[in-house]
Amino acid sequence: MTFRTKLLFISSFMVAGAVALVTGAVSISTRRAFDTIDRERREALLTQFRDELAARSVELARRVELAAASPGVQQIAAGAAEYDRAQTEAASADLDFLDVVEPNLTIISSAHWSARFGYQNDWQIASDDWHTSEVFLARIPTPEGSAMALTAVRPVVGGKALVAGGRRLSPELLKSLGVAPGMRALLWLPPGEVIDAEGSVRDAQKLAPLIQEVRSTNREATGSVQWTPDRRGSEAFLALPITRAGSLTGVLLAGTSLSTQLGLERSILRTGVVVGASGIVIGVLLGWWTTERITRPVERLAAGARAVAGGDLSARVEVLSRDEIGELAHAFNRMTEQLLEQRERAIQAERVAAWRELARRLAHELKNPLFPLQITIENLQRARESSEFDEVFRESTTTLLAELGNLKTIIGRFSDFAKMPAPQFETVDINEIVRSVMKLNDARLQAEGQVKVEPRLELASGGTQIQADPDQLRRALGNLVLNALDAMPEGGTLLVRTVLHDGSVRLEVSDSGQGLTDEECQRLFTPYYTTKQHGTGLGLAIVQSVVSDHRGKISVSGASGRGTTFTIDLPLTQADLMVVTGEPA
Amino acid sequence: MRRTALRSIAAANAVLALAAGLEAARRPHYGGELRVEMRAAVASLDPAVVPDDPAALGAQRQWMPFVFETLVSLDDQGRARPWLATSWTHDTARKAWIFQVRKNVKLHDGSIWSPPGGSVMVPDARPIEQILRELAGARSAVVVKAEDGSLLGTGPFRIAKWEPGKAASLVAHDQYWGGRPFLDSIGVQMGRSLADQASDFQIGKVDAVEIAARDLRASKQRGTTIASTQPMETVALQFDGSRVPAPVRQALSLSIDRTAILNVLLQKQGEISGALLPRWLTGYSFLFPGERDLGKTKQLVPAPQSLTFGYDRQDPVIRPIAERIAVNASEAGITLRQGTGAMDVRLVRLPVTASDAWLTLQDLTALLKVVAPSPAADPYEAEKALIESSGVIPLFHLPRGWLLSSRVKNWPRLEEVWLDAGASQ
Repeated sequence: MTFRTKLLFISSFMVAGAVALVTGAVSISTRRAFDTIDRERREALLTQFRDELAARSVELARRVELAAASPGVQQIAAGAAEYDRAQTEAASADLDFLDVVEPNLTIISSAHWSARFGYQNDWQIASDDWHTSEVFLARIPTPEGSAMALTAVRPVVGGKALVAGGRRLSPELLKSLGVAPGMRALLWLPPGEVIDAEGSVRDAQKLAPLIQEVRSTNREATGSVQWTPDRRGSEAFLALPITRAGSLTGVLLAGTSLSTQLGLERSILRTGVVVGASGIVIGVLLGWWTTERITRPVERLAAGARAVAGGDLSARVEVLSRDEIGELAHAFNRMTEQLLEQRERAIQAERVAAWRELARRLAHELKNPLFPLQITIENLQRARESSEFDEVFRESTTTLLAELGNLKTIIGRFSDFAKMPAPQFETVDINEIVRSVMKLNDARLQAEGQVKVEPRLELASGGTQIQADPDQLRRALGNLVLNALDAMPEGGTLLVRTVLHDGSVRLEVSDSGQGLTDEECQRLFTPYYTTKQHGTGLGLAIVQSVVSDHRGKISVSGASGRGTTFTIDLPLTQADLMVVTGEPA
Repeated sequence: MRRTALRSIAAANAVLALAAGLEAARRPHYGGELRVEMRAAVASLDPAVVPDDPAALGAQRQWMPFVFETLVSLDDQGRARPWLATSWTHDTARKAWIFQVRKNVKLHDGSIWSPPGGSVMVPDARPIEQILRELAGARSAVVVKAEDGSLLGTGPFRIAKWEPGKAASLVAHDQYWGGRPFLDSIGVQMGRSLADQASDFQIGKVDAVEIAARDLRASKQRGTTIASTQPMETVALQFDGSRVPAPVRQALSLSIDRTAILNVLLQKQGEISGALLPRWLTGYSFLFPGERDLGKTKQLVPAPQSLTFGYDRQDPVIRPIAERIAVNASEAGITLRQGTGAMDVRLVRLPVTASDAWLTLQDLTALLKVVAPSPAADPYEAEKALIESSGVIPLFHLPRGWLLSSRVKNWPRLEEVWLDAGASQ
């Protein structure tokens, strides 16, 4: 992963994290604010209900007192009216329920259930405090079942009877509260009726757990009900117990539709997501832009470093700023300039050293034949006056020719090294190259009087076809074999191996001689460097040159006393080089 | 002095003339239309048509004799008396009865009603009492079909207009053999609720309306002219026998506080009874018990029961009784709930259609769709059998009451009713 990618990831993550954090915080804060507002609204509704109930209680008490004082009720109490006269009186007093009862609570006339004359008024006596309570809630039996009502009891003038009057706790009461949009008031009445401003509530059993909680604790409780499969159909409730003499007579529920709240929350969340996503995108883009600006000089530095590593010491980095990166680029440029200067100086020094080594070698090589030439010529001069001149002359000329031949050979070798031709590639089997070279050395290996060197071939089976110049390859392999033989004056084992290795062919030539030191290994391929008494130091240089021309690699390994192994890795193909097909010329 | 005497004579003459005029106004005289309203909606007065609705059946039986007459009739005590037939005797073989018909009896179209030979032969060997009872029944009325398809009778009134179930107009039969009735016509409005009738009566729109039994006393106390009959209706519970077991039926009957209903709801008008027919008609109604026994109901129905209960909610007589019965029944663990469609039990009013027990039972069997008792059967046994087979539990017998304007005289015999022109309407 690049530095820019890492930087981009980090900046994007930080931006996204920050945006998510802010969005979440806003969402939670909004929800809490909504909850607070909802609770306040519901509490206000409950307060409004209490006030309305109190107002209605006062009005009811007044109506019942009026009824108790009316002539019609007094006639009923006196037994001078028809059994259903209470209906007329209830209508006059605008009461939904009216019972005129004897002091023992036997019904004389009932407005809402005229057929119950003669029976006991059981709704009035259902609670012990009916005669002391100003106004109370009671469930009143009717022919259609029963109904919850706000009720009051007053004595008929004259004290011969009592009047129990009531007004139904109807949806109208809840409607009169004038609740805010999205809110509603519900009333649970025992044994299980639930009404709202529209009438009976469907699916009221869903409220049962909340009501049960209020009934069991006799304290207010909160909860929510999901009326429809969609969460938007949910409603939050605050439930308040309505008690009479310590026992529960009803539960008032203030409900808030979560539809609006959820809609707002979703809208805020949607806006948050959009803003967040936009923020993240913008943040990422800004991060990318910033990262690009920050990493561009670093990447240039990296590219420069890669170029330098690749050998291009002329690579330079543009200095775009004066900050630390700019200083780094500047330092890089200075470093490459110094490296370039040092390399040129090194090349110059190496070139000088090579020339000195060449001169030393040339002097050394040429000095050896020159000394016999000088002796021979001096012998010839001295023998000019003697009788043996002819014989000396013949021997001297022979010697001179021999030494001149040596000189010619030495000069030829140097000339050959200087004139290494470009390789002519063709498809060859490297195993065949190995076999041919070994065959050329058979004579030396089997010559009488020579120390015994055992040749061993370990050749790969198949896949050893490569594109190479066979002559140069034979020459290089021949040099390595000769070096190996020279390294084993006491005899030993010569091992030549070919193996397929990682898309190339590996050629190994090992001897069991004395081996090389590390310093020798490092300098071994330097032209004119030799560890042999009469070597020119060009053999391995030629080998390295051939391997290099074949885009291969050569290395040497070994330790003192444990032999030496030269390893050459050659590619199977020379894709961009001209390949000569057919038999070599 | 002479002037004074003359003045006194003139004044005395004026007083005498006025007194004579008033006297003349009080005497029956012809003319006028009697306007009547009733709750029942009668489709037809044809004796061959027996209405399914009890109220319609009762009204039909009440009005039909004024249009279609029978050979014999029954008096208030149920005794047969000559009517269109003046005498009867059996043939020599005692296999048939021969009724001599009244002469000069004219049908409503003015033609003479004269059976062939001036007599009607009834080939029946039964005792004459049974035959006379049958002949006095509405189904034996004389009805002649005119060429235009209308039905002609011999009664004091003829049908001038008939809108089934809505209105009717009866006009006097000028050639009635018993003498032309005083009234020129009778206008009848049918299907009117008691409240509507009372309202129309209050504004003087009508001369005679029905009144609920419970209101008779209060109306009388207010000085209003009322007319009431012997108990002519039976309030009863009619069970669907196939759906309600006998113990539940009996328990419901025993749970009803009939006394409280009679005293409070019916204002003591009528009588408690467990019989279908009223006491005045049979004399044995006390043999059918009607007391309350809540203890026994618990034994009969130990577990709570629920029955669908039907009644006419628009009927001001039936509705309070039904509501009270529901309250009483709940004490016995029987819940009566209103429903629609087929009911387990209904509260109904059954009419007493004749002054003869057997004729009334015959109509009730048709109404209740059960097998009619044998004419030869003992009325008590026949009624007992009818109660058991029909799933009916009688509760009360109620009189029929009418509220009359002050100008209506001689009610309820319509052929003798006349209108006092001098009375306020």
